[in-house]
Amino acid sequence: MTPLVDVLTSRYAYVLFALLLGIGLYMIVSSQNLVKKVIGLNLFQTALFLFFIASAYLAGGQAPIVHHGGKEATYVSPLPQVIVLTAIVVGIAVTAVALALLVRIYAEYGTLEEDVLREVRSDD
Amino acid sequence: MTDPTVAPVLLIALPIVAAAVVLLAGLRWPRSGWPISLVALVLEGGLAAWLASAVFGDSGRLVHELGAYGRPGENEFAVGIELVADALSATMVGLIALIALSVLAVTRRAGPRGVPFYAAYLMLIGGLMGVSLTGDVFNLFVFLEITGIATYTLVASNRSAPAAVAALKYLIVGTTGASLYLLGVGYLLMATGTLNMADLAATLAGEPSFVDGPMYTDPLVLASFAFIATGLFVKAAIFPLHTWQPGAYDEAPDGVTVAISALVSTIGAYAFLRISLSVFTPAFFEATPIVATVIVTVASVSVVAGSALAVMQSRIKRTFAYSSVSQFGLVVLATGIALHPDAGASAAEAALIGAVIHLVGHAVVKGGLFTAAMGLALDSDARTIDDLAGLGRQSPVLSAAMALLGLTLVGVPPAVGFLGKWYIVIGAMNADLWPVAVVILLSTVLTLAYVARLFEQLYFTPAPSGDEAGAEAPADTSDDHAMAADGGNSADDGTEEHLSDPTPGAPFGVVAVAVGAAILAILLGFAGAEFADALEPFVTEVLGQ
Amino acid sequence: MSTVESLRPLLAVAISTVAIPLIVASYRRPNVRDSISVLTALGKFAIVASMLPAVLNGDEFRWSLGTYAPGVEFALRADPLGMLFALLSSLLWVFTAFYAIGYMRGLDEHSQTRFFAAFAGSLAAAVGIAFAENLLTIFVFYELLSVATYPLVAHDETDEARAAGRKYLLYTFFGGGVLVLGGTALVYVLAGTTTFGATAQGLSTADPTLAKAAFAMLAAGFGIKAGLMPAHSWLPDAMVAPTPVSGLLHAVAVVKAGAFGVARVILDVYGPDVVSDLGVGLPLAAVAAFTLLAASVIALRQDHLKRRLAYSTISQLSYIVLGLSLLGPTAITGGLLHIPAHAFMKLTLFFCAGIIHVETHTDYIPEMDGIGKRMPLTMTAFAIAAAGMAGIPLVAGFVSKWFLLVGAVQVNEAIFAVALLVSGVLNIAYFWPIVYGAFFESPDGADEKPLISGPLGGREGPRNIQLLKPAGSHGSHGESSGMGGALAGSSDGRDDPAPLEDGEYAVDRHPSDHAGDSATENDPAVAAESDDSVDVGDDSAGHDEETIADDHDDHADHAHHGGPGPDGWERRRWTGEESTWLLLGPILAVATGALVLGIVPYEAQFLELVEVIVEGVSA
Repeated sequence: MTPLVDVLTSRYAYVLFALLLGIGLYMIVSSQNLVKKVIGLNLFQTALFLFFIASAYLAGGQAPIVHHGGKEATYVSPLPQVIVLTAIVVGIAVTAVALALLVRIYAEYGTLEEDVLREVRSDD
Repeated sequence: MTDPTVAPVLLIALPIVAAAVVLLAGLRWPRSGWPISLVALVLEGGLAAWLASAVFGDSGRLVHELGAYGRPGENEFAVGIELVADALSATMVGLIALIALSVLAVTRRAGPRGVPFYAAYLMLIGGLMGVSLTGDVFNLFVFLEITGIATYTLVASNRSAPAAVAALKYLIVGTTGASLYLLGVGYLLMATGTLNMADLAATLAGEPSFVDGPMYTDPLVLASFAFIATGLFVKAAIFPLHTWQPGAYDEAPDGVTVAISALVSTIGAYAFLRISLSVFTPAFFEATPIVATVIVTVASVSVVAGSALAVMQSRIKRTFAYSSVSQFGLVVLATGIALHPDAGASAAEAALIGAVIHLVGHAVVKGGLFTAAMGLALDSDARTIDDLAGLGRQSPVLSAAMALLGLTLVGVPPAVGFLGKWYIVIGAMNADLWPVAVVILLSTVLTLAYVARLFEQLYFTPAPSGDEAGAEAPADTSDDHAMAADGGNSADDGTEEHLSDPTPGAPFGVVAVAVGAAILAILLGFAGAEFADALEPFVTEVLGQ
Repeated sequence: MSTVESLRPLLAVAISTVAIPLIVASYRRPNVRDSISVLTALGKFAIVASMLPAVLNGDEFRWSLGTYAPGVEFALRADPLGMLFALLSSLLWVFTAFYAIGYMRGLDEHSQTRFFAAFAGSLAAAVGIAFAENLLTIFVFYELLSVATYPLVAHDETDEARAAGRKYLLYTFFGGGVLVLGGTALVYVLAGTTTFGATAQGLSTADPTLAKAAFAMLAAGFGIKAGLMPAHSWLPDAMVAPTPVSGLLHAVAVVKAGAFGVARVILDVYGPDVVSDLGVGLPLAAVAAFTLLAASVIALRQDHLKRRLAYSTISQLSYIVLGLSLLGPTAITGGLLHIPAHAFMKLTLFFCAGIIHVETHTDYIPEMDGIGKRMPLTMTAFAIAAAGMAGIPLVAGFVSKWFLLVGAVQVNEAIFAVALLVSGVLNIAYFWPIVYGAFFESPDGADEKPLISGPLGGREGPRNIQLLKPAGSHGSHGESSGMGGALAGSSDGRDDPAPLEDGEYAVDRHPSDHAGDSATENDPAVAAESDDSVDVGDDSAGHDEETIADDHDDHADHAHHGGPGPDGWERRRWTGEESTWLLLGPILAVATGALVLGIVPYEAQFLELVEVIVEGVSA
């Protein structure tokens, strides 16, 4: 019990990350509504961002901007931040494309529910 | 001669810039998409040739540091992103350039057209080049996503609703896969602190001073490999992560299918090959023998399942899509053999060369098959296998191309399909992996199961309405159609829809590319020695420590 | 013993490869197209024969494309064993080409261009197999042979033809693509090379289990094409193809390629010493012996002539494999000599079956009683070849069988000699009735053939032996099996046939629509003709009185049109007026060849060639 409580208290970020990952994946897989699937995808990706940020956390760290004078300090690694920024942008682009596809699907089939969609499509 | 290290940058930047140019120019001249793309891709081809001559000639492995950040110290990690061109990358770059031009020829008359299509297509090429040439694992993710987004768009580019559904499924599955890959990269970053492939390899091997000993058995590293592999298997459509592929291939416009079948999954398999060999290195697989076994098992299942599913299909494009699942299973299987701890030097080398040959060969063959299928669909509206009945007489050239390419896929010698299999089987046997060898040998018969139906229908089933065009058909129906299509230039109104008349006949570009693919597949079959020589430096670098 | 670098092996293969596009290009001019076929055949034979004297002296001709894969070259080499097969195929192709032209024109078949092009391709592949220098090259041509012969098997484009084609592809690709490739790869892994003659060293020092596995795979892979049981069933099904194809399959190229492959494996890849060390010769011999006997027994019950010949081929091919796997020099001589001997004889038999089909549309043996009257030259040739198959002296089969018998006794495996003798008796049992019935019986007075009509296991109690008329006299049976013949091959009990008067047959009393009667025993080659008029072009000597009806258009199966017809067989004289010379000429030529091979086997070069081979192997 104690190790679990240990993990929950000290590494709660990772626990949250795993939880969000799982929720996102579950939404992708089991939601009937296509929009919710896309939301799940976003949640999944957001969990990843959380992971990157959490793993880069440095207690007492400073933003990695060196003011002139070159102060000696503990700087956070900029790499994970860069990664997360890029990944956010990628995620936005993907979501935009997904939503555009959803608009097209709705315009054609009139529904965004997967089960209804399957029925309608089988009549195609 | 200028420094060839600038070639990788240009190879990636040129198509992306060209995409922007197409979009801008399209505002003023709507029909300028094709010419601009042509210029861009011809230049791309030239760059690819230049790169190849440098890599296979004097320079060997080329490294370009973007932004010239370099390394702060002797044993420090690289700060920026490096672009690396070695023998394998150069091969992939050449392949991409060749197929890009071919697809342009195929889609000139028959395929999707229009400014947005060309822009997305050029983005796709740019992304593919990026995946091949990058030396940074996160950069790989970015280019993989660029490729992915471009592909999702292209799949849906005929604006039909079924295509949108297929594209959405591809999007969701593909992005999930890419995100899993990203997670793996994150674990690697946590474990080592760098994203550069060469630095990662060194760190994982335990070389830098702040690491004590190799990290291969670290759970973090194992987990990262698992996530990376899963993500890349999604991209390469390995069973059971292949579910996006049949729908995407089937619903996409025919010209798009040619491009994505030849290139997109290929680049996924290439990425897996690259990361396993250059980042994790065979030492990792020796330290964790279970991993290679899992890879080999999953790949074997993919080989068998892909063929089994292909046999059950009635639509031509879906059959070929499932066939890809099987063939990429073969490539991953070969990779697994090369990485297997039981594989000695000669086994690993044979399997690796076989993997690359099959990767390249399959791209040519699958692209050619889809081109021939496109031609037959244009000639006679043939979408299902039963529709192919009697087309051996009506469209003799296209049918011959499809038959030849099908035989190559089965592995009939002396074409490229057989050559790859030969190397892989030798590798498997040298490594004493007998069940794997059996699977590879059986794959011939499994592939035959669905290819034989094609022959039967094309040549040995009479056309349904009984109107055979005489005992022997005229030599080349397609030429007539091509002339009609060329003469009908004025009818081209530059929209991105298909040609309006139902079966306009296959244009010359389609036929030429299909025939060219068939000829190339046979010629490549004799190029075994050349392949082995060209890949020699890469193989020794990666395997022969 | 020198090896000459020469283009001739390549030319022998290439000449018919080049012919393929020429044939396809001349599709509008049948005469040009057919003469290309004939000229190519003659050219190929000339090239191969030109190498014969040097090869008999011990020289070899070699051509190489270069390294195909590391350690393996793509090379052709004309050595004595290869010359044996190449000489045989190219010589017989000359005759088959003429015959095929006559046959296809006689039936006015469709897709003749595809047919002749595929023929040329098959022969190119066969000669490639013969001259291959290593296992990989032989594998390449082996697969190409499968690809080239598939269009021939599925030629008729009916459901049955397609099914037969599918089965053919499955068996040969499994045999070739899986087993032979696996064996080749394994040999390469064990021995470091696949060149014939160079692998024995590595194989003898390798792990015996792996070496045996490789042998099993290679033998099985080649054996599938050679019709070793239990992988033989593609062969009878392939009889749906036109008869020249059956001749090609059985005598000229395909099954011989399988037997040749087994010969290469035993003699050149492993060598008799290694084979006996590994102990794999005896199991193979046992399989061959079983096939010999079982196929002969099955042949007894076939009433379709071509199927009977198919099972006979399966049986005879096992003679070759048996001889090779007994490993003694005499036995090997017998086995190798049987390759050309059987080829000549079987080709004659198939040609006869084909000409009978063209002239009289008769495919079933019970309908052939008295046909000697109608086709005297043909049945004489048939008789000669059948005698040879049984091992009667003066015909080719006797010589090879003699060597086999002596060879079996020499290696102290007399049981195989017994098997061979039993098989000889069975051969007589299934060929003699045909010959006897043709010459010495008439359609009216034919005896019953209990082997075919009787139930399996015999019948209790006294039987009624009735004099039965062949064509549809089982009025009470009606169209029980869709056969025109009285003696259906079914094993259910016989009903008493209704006694019929002359001229009144069941087909007259019960004119039936044959639509439902597409049972497997019908000859679909007949059924699938697209053009039904029997047009033999210019050579129409003696064709004016056809005894069969010419209107085949509306009928799904044609078996009812076979047989002698209401007035029995027409008499034709012995001057060749029974058919065209395009068909008769090859028959007589090949039958003569069988005789020549039986009377003067040395002078006919084949036995000398075989002896050179055996000397080289035993050295």
